[in-house]
This record gives sequence, C-alpha cells and structure tokens, in this order.
Amino acid sequence: MLTCDHYLSPASLADALAAAAAAPDFRFVAGATDLLPWAREGRAGDVHVPVMIDVANIPELKEVRVAEGRVWLGAATPLQRFLDHVDLIGAMPGMPDCAIWFADSQIRESATIGGNIVNASPAADGIPPLLTANAVVELAALRAGAVRRRRMPLADFITGPGRTVAERDEIVVGIACDALNGYGGAFEKVGHRRSLVISTVCLSVVVRIGAEEALEDVRLAVGGVGPVPKRMTEIERALTGHPLTSDGLREVAGLCDGFVRSRSRQDYRKSVVPGFLRRGLVKAMRRAGASAAMGAIAEEVADD
Amino acid sequence: MTDMIVEATVNGRRQRRPAEPFQRALDFLRDELNLTGTKEGCGAGECGSCSIFVDGVLVKSCLVPVAKIAGRQVDTVEGLARSGEMTAVQKAFHKAGASQCGYCIPGMVMAATAALRANPDADREEIKERLGGNICRCTGYQKIFDAVEMARDVLNGKLSASIFDEVDATDGKYIGVNVRRIDAPSKVTGALRYAGDMTMADMLHVQVLRSPHPHARIVALDVTAAERMPGVEAVITSADVPGQDGFGVFVHDQPVMARGKVRYVGEAVAAVAAESLADARRALAAIRVEYAPLPAVFDPEAAMAAGAPVLHDYAPDNLVKHIPIRKGDVEQGLRDAELIVEQTYETQPVEHAYLETEAGLAYVDHDGVVTVHSPSQNITHHRHMMARILNLPINKVRMIMSPVGGGFGGKEDMIYQGMLALLAMKSRRPVRLVFTREESIASTAKRHPSRTTYRMGLTRSGRILASQISIIYDGGAYGLSTEGVVRKGAILGGGPYNIPNIQIDTYGIYTNNTPSGAFRSFGSLQSQFATESHLDICAERLGLDPFELRLKNAMHTGDLTHTKQPLRSSSMSEVLEAARKVSRWESGVPNVRGAVRTDLGGEGARQPCTLTPRLSSENAEAPTARRGAA
Repeated sequence: MLTCDHYLSPASLADALAAAAAAPDFRFVAGATDLLPWAREGRAGDVHVPVMIDVANIPELKEVRVAEGRVWLGAATPLQRFLDHVDLIGAMPGMPDCAIWFADSQIRESATIGGNIVNASPAADGIPPLLTANAVVELAALRAGAVRRRRMPLADFITGPGRTVAERDEIVVGIACDALNGYGGAFEKVGHRRSLVISTVCLSVVVRIGAEEALEDVRLAVGGVGPVPKRMTEIERALTGHPLTSDGLREVAGLCDGFVRSRSRQDYRKSVVPGFLRRGLVKAMRRAGASAAMGAIAEEVADD
Repeated sequence: MTDMIVEATVNGRRQRRPAEPFQRALDFLRDELNLTGTKEGCGAGECGSCSIFVDGVLVKSCLVPVAKIAGRQVDTVEGLARSGEMTAVQKAFHKAGASQCGYCIPGMVMAATAALRANPDADREEIKERLGGNICRCTGYQKIFDAVEMARDVLNGKLSASIFDEVDATDGKYIGVNVRRIDAPSKVTGALRYAGDMTMADMLHVQVLRSPHPHARIVALDVTAAERMPGVEAVITSADVPGQDGFGVFVHDQPVMARGKVRYVGEAVAAVAAESLADARRALAAIRVEYAPLPAVFDPEAAMAAGAPVLHDYAPDNLVKHIPIRKGDVEQGLRDAELIVEQTYETQPVEHAYLETEAGLAYVDHDGVVTVHSPSQNITHHRHMMARILNLPINKVRMIMSPVGGGFGGKEDMIYQGMLALLAMKSRRPVRLVFTREESIASTAKRHPSRTTYRMGLTRSGRILASQISIIYDGGAYGLSTEGVVRKGAILGGGPYNIPNIQIDTYGIYTNNTPSGAFRSFGSLQSQFATESHLDICAERLGLDPFELRLKNAMHTGDLTHTKQPLRSSSMSEVLEAARKVSRWESGVPNVRGAVRTDLGGEGARQPCTLTPRLSSENAEAPTARRGAA
C-alpha cells in the first residue's frame, strides 16, 4: 500500500515548485490513476512517499486553448476532453479514436495527458497521436529562486521506457501541438479487452488531402513495438505528394518490420503493424474527405 | 501522522472528518463514513465496483486520493435512493434479475446512471461501452444491459413505470417463471453487507506474511520485533495453533499457517492484527524468517516420477488420489476397432476472480464462543474443522456465512478463517481480514490444470468400441478438493456415450504450484474438453458429421454408465437434436464443408460488438449538453 505524511494540493505553479523545493522526498501527482495501482504487490509494493504534490488543481495546467494554428494542452487535461471538447475534436483529429480506446470513461475523467507522457510507457496510447501533432513539451522548475521554463519536442522528451529528460523537481506544464483542422485522423489499437486494456500495438495516423486526392501531409506514429513510440518518417516520406496507390501501400507495408523492436512477440507485432497502417490510412483519408474509392485500395492489398 | 481534515458534501450532506493523507476516496467513504455500498474489487481501477460521482462525474474511487474530494460534491450508491424509494435504474436492475452475487451491482448501478445521464437515448452498444469500466463475473452482462435499457425506456416514457411492479403469475410453479430475488433491493442499493463491509467497535486489521519460496524449510521464524511495534496487538504463527493443525475438503493436509516448511509461493507463514492496516503492513516487514530452499516440482508428471521431491510425508509418491474405473475389456475393444485415435489434451489453471476477494471478521463473544463471519460455501464442514484446530468443543465455535460476492467453488476452501479465529482469541478483540486482489490470486485455489491422454477405438461407421483415458490433475501444494475433482473427472471422463469397454484412470498429484481446488464443473470440464475435442477429431478422421457421431454413441435409457449403473432415463439424443436445430447446424464433416459457413449469423444470432458507437455517429456535441434525469 501507499503511505504518505503530507498530501499537498497547491493552487499555483509557484506554490507547487516551492513545495517541491522544500520537501526532501516527494512525488508529483496529477490524475493519480497510475499512482495507486503502482503501490501494490507485484509492482512497487509498500511505498512510503513523505510528500505528495498534486498539480491537478493548478489553473495553468488545466487550460486548453485552440488558436492560430496551435493547440495548448495543459498537462492536467483529462483524456476525456478529447472526446467532448468540440474545439479539440476539430484540431486534434488523431485523438478521439485514441481516447475511446484509452481505458474507460471513468479513468479518462481522471487520467491526464501530462501524466501519460511523464510515465513514458512504451505502450502509452496518448503519445503516438501527440507525435503526429509535432508536440512540444513545456517544463517548469525553480532555479536560483526563479521559475525556469524550457520547451522541447516530445520526441526528445522521452528517452526510454519510463524515462524522460524531466529533472526530479521539474513539472510538465503543458504540451503545444499543431492544430490539424481539416486533417483526417485514425487510431488503431490491439489489446485484450476494449476497456481497460494496455496496447500491444497502437498506431496513429493524420492525413491532409490536396488536389486530385494527393496526400499533402501524412503523419504516422507507432507505439507498443519498441522502447519508445516513434514517428514512421520513412513511410511518411514515401506516401507524401501523390495519391495513394495499392503498389505504394504494398511498398510501405514492407517497411513496417523495421519499427518492431520489442522484447517479446515480435512476429505477432510485425504482422499487426502493416494491417494497422492500411486500415488507419484509409480511415483517416476518408475522414479527410478522400473519395470512397480509396477504400478499395486497402481492400485490394488486405490479403497480402 | 498529520491532522488532515476533509470537508466534502457527501450524498447531499456536509461532512467534516479526519483523514489520513494517503487514504483513497474509497477508504474515506467506507471507513470514515461507513458508506460500504461502494465496494473494493481490485483496488487498481479495473473492476468498477467502487464507482462514485465526484461533482457529477463518474470516477473509480480506488484511484482517487482523498484530498481530491475535498470541497467537492460526492455521491455514492447510497445517495441515489436517498428517500428510500429506489431509482428507475435500481428498480430495473431488480426487475431484470441483474443482481446475482450483487458485489459488482452498486458500481454497475452507478455506471448505468451515469450512462443514462450522459445520453438518455443511449442504444445497447453505447450502454455497453459506457459500462465498459465495470466488470461482472456472474451474470454474463445480458441482464445488466437489459436492465439499463428498461430503465432508459421508462425514463423516456416509452415503457410504463408499472413494469417495475409486474410479477409473473406462478400458479404454484416456479420453473420457467421469473421470480424476483428477495435480496435484490439490498444489492442494488448497496445496503447488503459482505464480510469486508462488516465492522465492530475496537476492531483490529489483519495482514498475512506469505512465503516467497515454492518449497523451503523454515529454519527460523522470529516475530518478537513485530509484536513490539506500535499498534500491533497480536502476531501468530503455527506455534499458536492449540489443536490438530490441518484442514482441507477431503484430506486435512493444510496447516493454518506453514508448519516447518512452505510448499508454494504465497503460503501464509504468520499473521498480524493491528490497529490499522498500515500498522499491520509495517509489522509484517519486521517478522524475520529464515528459509532453507528445497528442490521443488512444478509438473505433475515429474512429481509422479521416482526420486521427485516429496511435499508431504504421508504421501511419499505425491499422490493425493487415484481413481480407476473399469468396464468391459478395453484391450479386446481396441483389437476389434477399425480406427484408433490417440491424442493428448491439456488445460491450464484458471483464477476464479470473484469480485469480492476473500474476507472475514472474527471475535470471541461474551460466552467465549469463537465466531467467524466469512463468505463460505461449506460452513458446517468449516465449523467441524475449526473445532479441531482450536481444540474447542463444537458448541464454542460459530461460523456465520456472510453474503458470497461470487464463489464459483473457490470459497469452499477454508483458507484464512483459522488465522482470524486465532487472532481474535489471542487479542481478545474483533479482527478483520480482507484479501487484496493480488493476495487472492497468489494464495487461493485455481481450477486444476490437467493433462488427458486419450486412446479411442472405433468402427468405420463411427461406433465407439473402447476408450482408454488417463487424466493427471495438478493438485498443487495441498489437497483441498482434489480428491472429489479426481473422482468426478473419472465418473464423467468417458462422456455421455455408451461405450462397452472403458478404462479410466485419474490422478491428483501434489506439486509446488498454487493449490488447485473446486471451480464450476469440479473436474469434469477438463475431461469433457478432452472427450468432445477427441470426438470432433474422430469425426473428421471418419468423414462423419460430429452430431451424427455423437448421436450414434449417445447413452439411452437402459444403458450402463461407465460405473455400470443402469440409466433409468436419458434425454441425450433429444438434447442433441434440439441443439442441432437451434444452432442451424450445417451438416457435414467440418473440414470438408468449404470456405463459407451457412450456419453462422442469421436471425437471433448476436452480432459482434461495434467499436466506438459514440464516434461512429460522428456526433461532436458535448455530452454535458444532453443531461438526462436518470
């Protein structure tokens, strides 16, 4: 079980950072959905953390803004907002499918997007869609008595399973992303049970269609297949600039194997990723306004 | 600790109570406010038994630190029917019979209420999705979904509320009639108290120290440091057992706590009763145990081999039980056969995963009667064993069966009740133990894993002439129900077929695995899986329709069973014919019927689940804008 001596709920970033500076040993908490299961037999077991600092009540961390081609997601934004916040649904078309696959509605109301990236699980559902939105992470820490803020791409923030570049007293304030209005998005995932399930493989797609159905912008990211979720840049390059063809789809499906670097069930994952790529691409293209004929392309190569 | 005070509005009433800073909202509601309708099933956000509303939003209270409800409006299942009149959702659960063991039901009622508030017109697919965070182990969900649809239709005015009060006329007959469960109202309102919900004044909390080794001698066991720790009232080991230390369903081979050696990972070694759970957990860490690991065996066939590690002195061959069945002349039957099919089948251990973990409350009453409340499926047998273990006359031992929040056979075993009784006697205070989910999985019985070797001789036309069957059941470290399981597997091992020559040998074997015990079907599932799989394989080999093969060999009235009992009535053929009809079975040999099956789908067949019904409607409207009145 988890025990602590003090549970603090600071109302400002400055107070939270000050509390961290004053505490010899502490842990930041947001949605807490990972915290309590973590302190159980078979995982961390009995854990005593002298001070818990809950950052979920800090107004800045709860803010969601969509303006001027950018999205700002406060770190304490619950995953459920990707399903019910109209502006977010428009600007982050890769997220609704991801959110509906993310545990269940009760956990989505608590779990935060900041917590999802700080945990840096190889199977974290929220990370691939953020990677396709070119997410930038903003961090804050108290340095020499002043609040120091810094930003970095999400891809640089996560360094390995459960590992990030965040220093121990640094708070993730929020995530800035491209607003992808007009794009189509899809999220494919496989796991054991629709609700509550951890990804075995997940894949996020966002697409913008141009004249004559050319793929003007294609962004793909895959999770659950290696130590960190990754953008599939080689495949994106191969698909960009022209309409999708069955030959083109066959060709890029052949590139998927290289992304599978998991420690277990490699063969299974290698067989899943190309299917997700086909299905996700076609779904995202349809949502981006491509003709129904595009669906035939995926079906044509479905049995490859 | 700190002097944390939590203020919140709970079920409409302002509450101001002390709390530990590390408590979960779940603990605060249950322990401080006694709102035990909010259940703990998994403690890890997976089962939904603890669902509550915080400011109108449904969340899992086992994941919510208590500080997060400070200043908020909290509603629990007790708050839904505050006036005493059940809500439409609760009445619908009662009417639909959606309250089997009842343990998941408060959480289900909360999730159903949330679903209908979010979308008063939710269809069945959306209801399924919105209830996706809540797990049920008994009902199979159909009645729960029926109930939510019924509540929805009444709230929408499509159904009259009078449906809640309608009862089927019984005319003195109860088969085929929907009978209202009399305990359902207490289940749907959260009023029913399971063992883990019970409290007594001055109650202590129990925690158990468990073995990390599958097989080891206990060289030293020192609890003196734990006994001196603050908050600790009593610590017990096998040295505290006053009587004959052994229990089990058939063989009394399991000590209350490990005596001299441990035989599986998770076996109880010592137990602590303390003022709080945290105190008890700290005391466990202060118990010193020195183990000398022994060679262990994890495969029952390896445990049967000469020279294998021996678990129990009384069973040098690791045999719990062997049941042989003989009828006719198997050798002759196999010689006469035109086809002999041999195959081996294996089944794995299965966890019961009842939502209510094992729990109990014990005390010594004013007359010196040791009293234990627990969800037991075998109360009288437990009482007899307890009297021997405690060395008390049976009138000084009282076992009370609490509501069973899912049993499935797993709560036949007396596992922890002895520890509770001993701690109540030693501390002279009431004691309560509630297993964590992890503890339940690690330490209590599973379905017996099995390995079945089948040899069957048939004629070309499909008549079974002989069956030779051997089933080895992995009994794990202690006997529990193994003897009965082995017996049932033998009696039913040949299947419901009239076989003139049959030889069945079933074995229950000790290994250092988690003990195996009773689990829905009690040993016959394993043999039926083998038999029916084997018949399908034989049908393919013979080029026969699997139904035809079974009908050809079905037992009829007057036939002799495998144990040579004349059958006075058998409806096997009628059952098979009925199943063939309703399943729209496409006749033929399975492996030559072609790529397209004509017997799938069709009227009455359940369609597969659809993903994201909410998204497929492409409805971007905020759900908060369409609140209903559930």
